[in-house]
Order: sequence, then C-alpha cells, then structure tokens
Amino acid sequence: MEVSNYWYFLSGLTLLSALMVVLSKNPIHSVLYLVFTFFCISGHYVLLNAQFLMAVNIIVYAGAIMVLFLFVIMMFDLKKNIPDSKTNLTKLAGTVVAGSVLVILVAAFRTIQYPTPDESTFNPNNGMVENLGKVLYSEYLLPFELVTVLFFVAMVGSVMLGKREVGDRNF
Amino acid sequence: MTPVIALSLFGIINLFLGFTFKRQSLQVVTLLFIICSMALTAMDWNHEYLWFGDMMKTNNLSINFSLIIQLAGLLVVAFSNGFGKDEVYTQPAEYYAILLFSLVGALLMVSFQNLIMLFVGLEILSVAMYVLTGSDKRNLRSNEAALKYFLMGSFATGFLLFGIALVYGSTRSLYISGILYNLSHTAPESLPSFLYAGIILMGIGLLFKISAAPFHFWTPDVYEGAPTIFTMFMSTVVKTAGFAAIYHILDVTFGGFQKNWIITVYFITIITLILGNISAAYQQSAKRMLAFSSISHAGYMLLTVCANQPSTSSNILYYSLAYTLATAVSFAVLMVVAEYQTGRTEKPENFDALNGLAKNNPSLAFAFTVALLSLAGIPLTAGFWGKFFVFTDMFNKNLTYPIIIAVLMSAVGIYYYFKGIISVYFNSGEIEKIETSFLFKIALWSACIGTLVLGIYPTLLKSIF
Amino acid sequence: MNYQPSDFLPIFVQLAAAMGFIVFTMIVTHILGPRRSTKLKDEAFECGIESQGDARTPISIKYFLVAILFVLFDIEIVFMYPWAVNFKQLSWTGFWEMAVFMGLLLAGFVYVIKKGILKWEK
Repeated sequence: MEVSNYWYFLSGLTLLSALMVVLSKNPIHSVLYLVFTFFCISGHYVLLNAQFLMAVNIIVYAGAIMVLFLFVIMMFDLKKNIPDSKTNLTKLAGTVVAGSVLVILVAAFRTIQYPTPDESTFNPNNGMVENLGKVLYSEYLLPFELVTVLFFVAMVGSVMLGKREVGDRNF
Repeated sequence: MTPVIALSLFGIINLFLGFTFKRQSLQVVTLLFIICSMALTAMDWNHEYLWFGDMMKTNNLSINFSLIIQLAGLLVVAFSNGFGKDEVYTQPAEYYAILLFSLVGALLMVSFQNLIMLFVGLEILSVAMYVLTGSDKRNLRSNEAALKYFLMGSFATGFLLFGIALVYGSTRSLYISGILYNLSHTAPESLPSFLYAGIILMGIGLLFKISAAPFHFWTPDVYEGAPTIFTMFMSTVVKTAGFAAIYHILDVTFGGFQKNWIITVYFITIITLILGNISAAYQQSAKRMLAFSSISHAGYMLLTVCANQPSTSSNILYYSLAYTLATAVSFAVLMVVAEYQTGRTEKPENFDALNGLAKNNPSLAFAFTVALLSLAGIPLTAGFWGKFFVFTDMFNKNLTYPIIIAVLMSAVGIYYYFKGIISVYFNSGEIEKIETSFLFKIALWSACIGTLVLGIYPTLLKSIF
Repeated sequence: MNYQPSDFLPIFVQLAAAMGFIVFTMIVTHILGPRRSTKLKDEAFECGIESQGDARTPISIKYFLVAILFVLFDIEIVFMYPWAVNFKQLSWTGFWEMAVFMGLLLAGFVYVIKKGILKWEK
C-alpha cells in the first residue's frame, strides 16, 4: 500500500472519531473518542516524519491532559446539566455559517499553489529526536529557559486557586 | 535581557519570602525589586544589543516600552496596600510573584525578534492574567471573568499560533530579520497566498489581547469581575505590551504589505472607536465604564498603527504612558471608594458610590478629576497631547474619515468622563475621610503630577521617545 | 540514520492485534451469553439494602491538584528526552543548561511542598 492509502484511512478515522466526540450523548464516551482522535493525529505526525511530536502528543495530551478532563467530568453530576436544545433558527444559522466557512476553505485550498521546499536546506529527518534536540538546546535555548517562568506561573496559580481555605467543606 | 532574568529570579525569591515576611514588607520588597529591574533596563540606554543569536533585541524603543511597563507594575504594587485589608483570603506573596512573572512576559513581548519569543511572552503574560483574574475565589463574578478570559484568550492565542505557522510556511524563517529579507527578495507574484491569511490571523490574535472590536466582548465582564487592582494591571501592562507587539508585527515586519492588512485594521479601528465610546456612555458602573473606555483608547492607538508613519513608535509610547498614568489613578481611587462603600451601598462601584467624595477627601477627588480629564483628552493633561499626536499621524497619511469619527467619539467621551467628575464634586453624598497608606499617597500624587507635567511640557519625554 | 514512517508499521500491527482481540472477545461474549435483564437484576448490589439517590458526592480538590502538578512535571520530563538522546554532543554546555532548567523547576517543587498542597491527610 502506498502512503496516500494510509493517509486516507487515517484521516477518515480521525474525522469519524472527532465527529463522535461531538455527537455522543455520554460525556465519558466523548472523552474516550477524543483520546482516540489524539492517537490518530499522532499517526498523522508519523506520516509527516515528526517522530518526537508523535511521542509528546501521546504522552502529554492523551496521557496527562485527558486525565484532567476525566477528573472534571467525574466531579460533575452531568445528568442534571443537560442543556436546552437550541431553536431551529439557531441551528439553521449555525449550519449556514459553518457551511460557508467550509466552502471558503475548500475554495482556498483548491487554488493555492504550495511552494516546494528549498532543495539545499531540506532535511527530511528534521522531526527526529536527535535533530530536534540539537536545534532546541543551541538555537532555541532562550525560549526553552523562559518556559520555566510559564511553569512557575502555572504552579503558583494552581496552588493559589486550589488551596483549601478555612471554612471550606473537605471530603 | 538582564531585567528579564532579574525579574524571574525576583519572582521566585518573592515566593519563598512569603513564608517568613509580613504583608507590608512584601510590598516594599516587591517595589524594590521592580525599581532594581528598571535600573537594569535603563543601563542599556543608547546601546543596541542582540541577545542569544537574534532572539531578542534591546534598543532605545524596547527600553522605553520596558520602562513604561515596569512603571505600570510599580504603580500597581504601590496601590495594592499589601493586600492587607483581607487577612485570610488573600495570599500577597503569590500575587506579587505572579505580577513579577507577568512583567517578564510583557518584557518579552516588547523586545522580541523571533516569533517564538512573541508567543512565549504572550502566553506567560496571558496565563498570569487568567490566574489573577480568578484570584478572588469567593466572588462569583471573579470566577466568571477568569473562565471567560481563559477560554477566549486561549482561542486567540490559537489564532496567533496558526498565523505564525502560515507566515513561517511562506517565508521560511521565524526571525523578523529573516522574514523581511525573504519577503523583499521574492517576487510578489510568487508569494504564496496563505502569507496574507497568516498576517491577518496574527493580527487577529494580537488585536484580541488589546480588546479591539469585534474582539472586545470579553473586556467589560473580565474587567468588572477581576479584583480592581488586577484590572488596573491588565488595562495598563497588557495593553502597552500588546500595542508594542502589534507595532512590531504589523508596522515593522509587514509594513511593506500594508495594502493587504490596512483595510481590515481600518474598519476594526472605526468599529472600536464607535462601539467603545457609545457603549461606555450607557454604563452605570464606573468600573465597566473604564473597561469600555479602555476599548476606545485601543481604538485611538490603532489609528496611529494604521497610519504607519516614522513617528508611530514614539506616539504609541507617549499615548501608552499618558493612558497608563491616568488609568492607574482612576482605578486606584475607584478601588478605595468601592472598599469603603462595600458594606454601605448595594453597588459600590457605580457612579453613585462616588457622590460627595470631594467633601472629605479633596486629594482623592482632585486626582480622580485629573485622571478623567486626561482620559477625555482635555488640554493641560498628557492625554490631550497623546490624542493630538495620534491625529497628526493620521493627517499626515491623508486618512480623514477615521479622524472625523475619532473627534466625534471624543466628544461622546467627554460625557461619560464628566459623569464621574460631576458625581465627585457636584453631587451630594456622605463619604468620610478614607485612610490611605503612605505609598498609596506617593503613587497617587506622582502619577497625577506626571500627567499634568506631561500635559504642559510634552517635549520633556517626546524628545527621548 | 535515515528514519522512514514505514518503520512504525510494526507498532500499528501490534495495536491492531490488541484492538482486534478486545473487539473479538466482546462480540463473542455478547453473542454466546444469554441475555436476560429484569428490573431486579439490573439494580446495583448493596447487600440487600435499597439504594437511594445518586452515588456521586463532591470530590476533594487535592486529587485534581496532584493531576495538575503531574502535567507540569510531565512536560519537564518531555523536555529531557531530546537532551538525553543528544547527551554526548551537547557536552558540558547542554548539561549546565539542563541543570538550570531542572534547578528552577526543583525550586517550584520545593515551594509546592512547603505550601502543604500535597499533604494527603488533614
């Protein structure tokens, strides 16, 4: 099988599971379909030869962030929170807007001339872990170190917002 | 670069000092930290440095922006009173640490040379702001504001990132110098069409952060729900940093493509001016009025971004400084009055809560009046010269319609700013003498005097900018 | 070292085999087992006591905080992967860069511990 067959199969799977995220009634099912969507996207990254991105996507996104999603969904009693169904007019308006965006996107993608990569500098192994590491720790050192400031903000923020206060009920 | 490292380390030190120091001492320590980093920033005056291989550039323009941002941070810390009114539910060490970290993010946004640095700086600033907006855990409005800001802000960052990806795909470089070189050396017909989509998407992501219409819907709810001291920080630092980033992206990097983005930003400016001013006229709450007025000031500053003259950067600097001083003072006065009125009136942040302030608090009333006059653009205040320079830029570019609309909307602005002045001086109400700390008084008076001095003698700073 | 996407084919074969086994087992049990469900058999078992209301109570937030802090330190680990692969080439410079990164995050960890967030029992 050539690559494009794999690509079609993977894209179909991705779109199907993404649709099931939106359409399924049980929120836990939605989360599980979302995890499957992330695995399919990681498959796309493999086809693009971005090995590190695939591993990070699965470890961080499907592994850690989906756990947080599940926590939140577990904490709520979602039987009580079924939202009111929107009116037919709203649904029609939403369909028209989304449909027009789809038409514009398809028209744009059909007329774009994609530039080809520069032959002298193109390295198909750019996404591999070694090459990425070489660039990350030499050229992009400053953003790498500044990400620690972002981690600090996140840590301090979560500690501040999640601390148990005097007078809160504890379970 | 040294202020960035210094502020990060100071933030971490602040966190650990919070275990041993008292609240008032933490405030003084944070003030000293910011003053120290301002000194480190000013040390590089008249030198141009490139850091870490063209990742960040320090020149006079970025030093000026950094000093204005750190001045705003200084004012916020000085007005915060060490968060001493609420002993149990506030954690001042964490607040000051997050403020210092967000100053780091803002400094990255004003001196970037690589689009990745813009993104990292924007994210640090934004995440710090989401956390601070939601820091008042018992107030439902604060939770709502934090959630709205977070959801919409993350979406806007997503747009920015998509724009960066498209620009990278079409110019093959993430560095501003690389983008300028590649764009000038390729024929215009061979440029891929998704470059223009990328420019607009990046513009949208940044215009969201400065609350330009039609991306302004988060601003009133977020500004109203957040604790007033952090609203002051948001409306001064985030706007200044956002405008520095917009200037670097739209005017410096893509200035040659102005015919592609000018129409969009032109109409966004007009809608921002109209929506901001007219919505502000309808407000009963002074805090919401100040939120809408910040939207309208974003419109005025966008006028000079549209014009793209050689004097654009110094006009943005001057307007940012005038706006920072005036907004800080007005939010500070609103904060103390709202705290005083919290038990006594139902809506402590309305204009009615300010009634009769002048009887027992003449200094607060005078400062508030000067701030509102500066925001309205009355002569003898810095805000007048800010608006004047912005309109001059537009005249030099021969774009007359936005100026007509801006002048008309300034007239509308006089209505809602004078509502505040009238309720302070001419309405009757019972407000006793409000006790404010020494640092508060110093910050209030220095900002007030700065506004008046800059209004009478603008070339004092215009020659440096 | 020229890697191709087709190097990952064995992984997908294994994934397909695992999924296939699960799907096969579920289908076979559903077809082969009897299907009898009455109201009494479908109730949750509570040792003969009648079940009342919903089983959900609010969850303590300490679990969620542990998950959030896990995400942050997971990203730190992810940053260590490219460094570990290029350990020899990055030599001493890369070592000190990573040491600064880890030191800062260690300071954050010490702060979180001193705050007492991760204390499990009150």
